[in-house]
Amino acid sequence: MTHLQSTLALGALCFLALNHSAGAQPAFTADVPILHEEAASAGINQTYTGGWEYFVGGGAASFDCNGDRLPDLLIAGGSSPARFFVNESPTGGALSFRQLETGLEAEDLTGVLGAYPLDIDNDGHTDLVLLRLGRNLVLKGGPDCTFEKANRTFSIDGGRAWSTGMSATWEKGNIFPTLAIGNYVDRSAPGTPFGTCEPNQLLRPAPGEVPDYSESMRLEPGYCALSVLFTDWNRSGRRDLRITNDRQYYRGGEEQLWEMPEGRPPRLYSASQGWQRLTIWGMGIAETDFDADGLPEYALTSMGDTKLQKLDDEAGEDRPTYRDIAFEKGATAQRPYTGDDPKPSTGWHSQFADINNDTKIDLFIAKGNVQAMSDFASFDPDNLLLGGYDDTFHEHGMQAGLALDTRGRGAVVEDFNMDGMLDLLVVNREHPASLFRNLGAATEWGHRPLGNWVKIELDNGTVNPAAVGALISVRTGTRTQTRRIQVGGGHASGQAGFTHLGLGVSERATIRVQWPDGEWSHPYRVFANQHVKIIRGEANARYWYPVTR
Amino acid sequence: MISSAPGGRWRRLFATLLGLQFALAATASADEPWAERTAALGAISVMPSGVLPKDELERLIDIGEALFRANFTTLDGVGRPQATQAIDPTRRKHPRAQMFFRTAGPDAGSCAACHNQPAIGGAGDFVANVFTSEGFESADFDSLDPQFSSERGTNHLFGAGLIELLAREMSHDLHTIRSKALARARAEGAAVRLALQTKGVAFGHITAEPDGSVNLDELDGLDTDLVIRPFSQKGVMTSLRQFTVNALNHHHGMQSDERYGARWTGSDDFDGDGTFAEISTGDVSALVAWQATLRAPVRVVPDIEGWAEAAERGEAAFTDLGCASCHRPALPLDSLSFADPGPLDLAGTLNDRQVSDTAIYDIALLDWAADLPRDAAGRVLVPLYGDLKRYVMTDSQIDALGNELLSQRFVDRNIFQTAELWGVGSTQPYGHRNDFSSLHDIILAHGGAGRSARDAYAAASDSEKSALIAFLKTLVILP
Repeated sequence: MTHLQSTLALGALCFLALNHSAGAQPAFTADVPILHEEAASAGINQTYTGGWEYFVGGGAASFDCNGDRLPDLLIAGGSSPARFFVNESPTGGALSFRQLETGLEAEDLTGVLGAYPLDIDNDGHTDLVLLRLGRNLVLKGGPDCTFEKANRTFSIDGGRAWSTGMSATWEKGNIFPTLAIGNYVDRSAPGTPFGTCEPNQLLRPAPGEVPDYSESMRLEPGYCALSVLFTDWNRSGRRDLRITNDRQYYRGGEEQLWEMPEGRPPRLYSASQGWQRLTIWGMGIAETDFDADGLPEYALTSMGDTKLQKLDDEAGEDRPTYRDIAFEKGATAQRPYTGDDPKPSTGWHSQFADINNDTKIDLFIAKGNVQAMSDFASFDPDNLLLGGYDDTFHEHGMQAGLALDTRGRGAVVEDFNMDGMLDLLVVNREHPASLFRNLGAATEWGHRPLGNWVKIELDNGTVNPAAVGALISVRTGTRTQTRRIQVGGGHASGQAGFTHLGLGVSERATIRVQWPDGEWSHPYRVFANQHVKIIRGEANARYWYPVTR
Repeated sequence: MISSAPGGRWRRLFATLLGLQFALAATASADEPWAERTAALGAISVMPSGVLPKDELERLIDIGEALFRANFTTLDGVGRPQATQAIDPTRRKHPRAQMFFRTAGPDAGSCAACHNQPAIGGAGDFVANVFTSEGFESADFDSLDPQFSSERGTNHLFGAGLIELLAREMSHDLHTIRSKALARARAEGAAVRLALQTKGVAFGHITAEPDGSVNLDELDGLDTDLVIRPFSQKGVMTSLRQFTVNALNHHHGMQSDERYGARWTGSDDFDGDGTFAEISTGDVSALVAWQATLRAPVRVVPDIEGWAEAAERGEAAFTDLGCASCHRPALPLDSLSFADPGPLDLAGTLNDRQVSDTAIYDIALLDWAADLPRDAAGRVLVPLYGDLKRYVMTDSQIDALGNELLSQRFVDRNIFQTAELWGVGSTQPYGHRNDFSSLHDIILAHGGAGRSARDAYAAASDSEKSALIAFLKTLVILP
């Protein structure tokens, strides 16, 4: 080969390489948040314990109990008492909690599998529903983190079931919420535990000026629910009830969607209506809406593959037929991403959130072996699936610092130190809960903040003040992101408070709210990196600022 | 560089291959003196940090000026065939064939192509007007119809560093007032309403509630985050750094890594022109340093008989007629230390939280700074003839400045920031659209908040009007 020939050949090679490099995209180039585990130093010392009945559950509730808007915590303890923790974290600083003695009796706080916060009686103080092995407990919240048992006040029969899931919605025209309780195995039925799933429970408020749930309804058949969620799956404005069930114990069961017609008993969607039979070890439901079209997608955790369901646009309008897009989205998360255990994972709590503030929704999944199931991975770290600019998910749990040898169950993704970057609480079975502070992205000199963000609190007025069921639509440039305010889903864990969105490089955003009754607000113009308070009927949004400590 | 390691590897690979390709190609080498690329690009390989001594600052300024003068080429990455002019990285629906496009941009080969009156960094004539749009919907408008864009004159940049420093100090003051109101409201358990006033400029009131929220209904002339954004006709740009990143993309299709790079877009070539990592953080720093250290406009009375006396009377009239209530002759500035990146930018423009150490440009090191007036406390009195506040500039009778249809970044169509008048004697024509040929005409165009001063001028004697013009013409930019 002559020098000229070799030159031309090398040149051609270079052009090929150039063309290739120009067309290729880096795999994942956005920030990977560094999540620093600091539960012990933060004063969180709580372990979820117990025998077989506590293989499931292990949840937490995040909500503000003292009016400072910092998310306080209740963490289930299983056979150990649940504990309250008051958030005293300085803004942007190390996480700090103080254990709170509420005066509640230890036996009431024992046997708790999970908890969901909501304001049942519209008094502006967040109440708690404790899901228990046995009688569920409703705690009425008062000022300064005071709680009193309110089953009698609200005429709620806590039952005697093994409750594992809960959701709430304000049905049209109602002053008080409708509650759905997901129940697991009926331990007293003959042949238990296999094929003996407890029916679920629907509590609709009786008409009147005070909460009255004396009329309870059984949702049968029950298929051993582990997560329930009221969801407007078809953009109808009505919230139907989605239930994910554990195939380990049911016989002939499946995933369920209950239609919730106004003033009439719920009825299950059937195959003739488009509902397709799906049997999984359903552990948790998370909802998002990737393209903000009003038709949400759902992540369902299970053993092995996580399911990511999208409404099948070829199935016909108003037909709840879903296709699984987990594989194409890179969200199956079926095996541990690190370690040498190739066996399938066991997924529990799932939650969508923008943990790196890049506008792309991320997915957190708590993972952990049920107890010692040898067919499944024993070292099974939690997942941090970061949404990429290629619209697929990229696993970064290892880089983020989540790859701990714990058995995760419930979790809360929340901004505990009010710096706009989401932190993470994971409740672990037989291991202290993990509390991760989001430090931002790692650099050679330390950590730098992530992208811009906005956090939004809604005030819907005297009924349903926290606007459960509202849709928040945030516009930046040509991008629209939505969040639905919900009570329910996940795995035995719920939260109330500001709704967080990442804004990337946008320094301002326009917010519209579809209030729970369906009415759309006018646009609110806000700047990034603000806590925004939107009061229904007011012309302008307000901003909120944490106490400078 | 702020991109992650994979992105860095891609860039290094690309750079290596590109270098090899050009070494082998028959065309001119990029290293040859006549190469059709901007040599100053990439000259700052590491972002400056710490307090720069004068010689280092001058070197940085020189590179910044070279970049400001540069006519960017395709080898540099000029053009954005797959991206719009939007400040949020936004892809085009369809790639565009033309490199330059007079309306939607890119509309200039260099910064100096427009900012040149009376010298580089200055203002532009009407022919150098630009067309501002958000760049999201109808980004490729090819019409001058104001439903698609707002036509704007080119502002001068002289004294811009002092302007940004004033804005930072004022923002800090306003944030302090907000914090005081919140602390009191929380302590007293009752709403607290405080006046938002800084450097003598009133921006309405803020009311803090005991729950830590603030009511923003009574703000006047600034954004709800209480950040004074001092740049552009509307006062919507926070810093020279943000302005630089915006303008490089809008006008030249030169995309800065700190906003359009892989960290925020997934690509080192977001605009799809085949050039990767077009503008580094160091390049932006150099451009900022040059702009921030441009000398402030001065006051020069022409050596023409009678002008001095007229200007003196005109200066008095300027106050008497009410012009000075908005066009404040001077605002006090505590510090001449210009930090870059600054404290108020958000992600997408580098800020002081995103770097290990900011650079400090001490404007006092520059010869021209010695001539700045100071008050008894030693503070610099920045003679800007402005107040960095926005006003409604139209009313039902006088609406010549209400010729736009689009709001810009939450600022309504007829609201503009008080134009700083320093340098006005060197920057004819006038108005946000550069379509008022005389000072007399633009004064008479003031409606809304400027109406009373405008009416006072209109009612003044010809002698007084003439004196006012004589005074304004002494506010000049020295090349």
